[in-house]
Amino acid sequence: MNVLRNEFAKLRHLHLVALAASMTAGIVALTVVGTMTGDAAQHASALSLAGLSLAFPLVSPLMIAVVASRTIDIEHHGNGWLLSRATGVTLGELLRAKVVSAGLVVTTATVVAVSLGALLGGTKPLWTWLGYAGAMVVVNLAVLTLHLTVSTLAVNQLISLGIGVLGTVVAICASGFPSWLAHLTPWGYYALASAADYRGDHVMTLSPSYTSVAGLAVVGVALFLFVTARLDRQEFLA
Amino acid sequence: MNTVAAELIKLKRSQSLTVVILLPILIVGVGTFNTVLSGEQLQNGWHTLWLRTVVFHGLFPLALGVALLASLIWKPEHDRGNWNFLMSGRVPSLRIVVAKTSVVALLTAAMQVSMVATVLVVGKLVFGLDGPLPAPLWIAAGLTIFAAVPLAAVQSALSMLVGSFAVPIALALVGAGVSAFLLTADVGAAIVVLPHALVSRATQLATGTFGDGGSLTAASTLSVVGATIFLSAVAIVGSSRILDRRDGRS
Repeated sequence: MNVLRNEFAKLRHLHLVALAASMTAGIVALTVVGTMTGDAAQHASALSLAGLSLAFPLVSPLMIAVVASRTIDIEHHGNGWLLSRATGVTLGELLRAKVVSAGLVVTTATVVAVSLGALLGGTKPLWTWLGYAGAMVVVNLAVLTLHLTVSTLAVNQLISLGIGVLGTVVAICASGFPSWLAHLTPWGYYALASAADYRGDHVMTLSPSYTSVAGLAVVGVALFLFVTARLDRQEFLA
Repeated sequence: MNTVAAELIKLKRSQSLTVVILLPILIVGVGTFNTVLSGEQLQNGWHTLWLRTVVFHGLFPLALGVALLASLIWKPEHDRGNWNFLMSGRVPSLRIVVAKTSVVALLTAAMQVSMVATVLVVGKLVFGLDGPLPAPLWIAAGLTIFAAVPLAAVQSALSMLVGSFAVPIALALVGAGVSAFLLTADVGAAIVVLPHALVSRATQLATGTFGDGGSLTAASTLSVVGATIFLSAVAIVGSSRILDRRDGRS
């Protein structure tokens, strides 16, 4: 429990809340721009969902990579891995605590962004809005977990941030990918979880692919537990 | 000159070539993949391919690439007390800033060359496009290299000030996002305020997109050149003044 408390204490100095707030601001700003392009009087809710479905893949992957890199880089710089190991905290345990602390920040940012989007256009149909919010939380947490793991294993943060840039490009283009291809990377799930899209000039509500997102959650948790279990048996990071 | 030479030596261990080569290949690869997947032909040949690769690259990946390069170039100075060496050295701040900006701009130029080379290879081998790349697009590519200098200076300044590897990259995404919005809204004046908008505008020259007329005119070229000179001077002088006021770190 102390490990987790320490991680929350570190958040303040890393300005992670400010970073997460800028992620939310970016998503909401893009959603507002999106709602200006259609007939807001008749399709306000669908326009807002379409705006969010476009904004999340544009903003989230890189901002999450930055949050993860900030969270992990202090341990590389301050020799925190060795210090934690010497105090009886395994590497895997520390990484799991970081997923919880940074995950809470990202989840809050995600829920606030979707809520502000709902304020713009209303929440009809309610289940689609709730489902979309849940799906975005799962996809963002999966991407965050991937980046925290990569940032831990590769000291050079170029790798994690480079993957963040790659993820942004994949997330933007994934709406044009065939379904099987979108399933292959975590960023493809932003497209699979889309709750609205344009068909010509008309915007229409879609049903997010909940099964795919649930599959991502199961695979993500299994892989993360496997990697952290291995880290638990490791003396220290070279 | 010695300062620039020292920076070039540091480049060897920076892994910056990974960004210079891989980012253009990724962008052209995604553009090509989407085109092949959709089963559509390139309606206007080289122009359509240029739009799907170079113009897309200019919207935000180019800014992110420059930010990554700037973070890599400043990383050694923020590691293990090197900042104090920098502060206690006899090299004037202006020379440090110019050297760092020059190296980032040089790598950005290499990235743009890599981009055009990849487009040429894909255009000929994958799509079998006829004839050479049109002359206005060559000029736009050259102007993009020039117009990236202020962006290199600003991202270098951010990496110098912030110290974090990741945060300047997030700021580049914000800058690129605001620029894309302003250029879409046809706010041409953005290019004399935001270096991200300037470099995006340069990639859009002669394409007929984002308020561009479709042909390379003297007015559009001069506006890019003028904004580049103005923003470069402001960014370099401004960041050297800031560096002058910085002190050592404990």
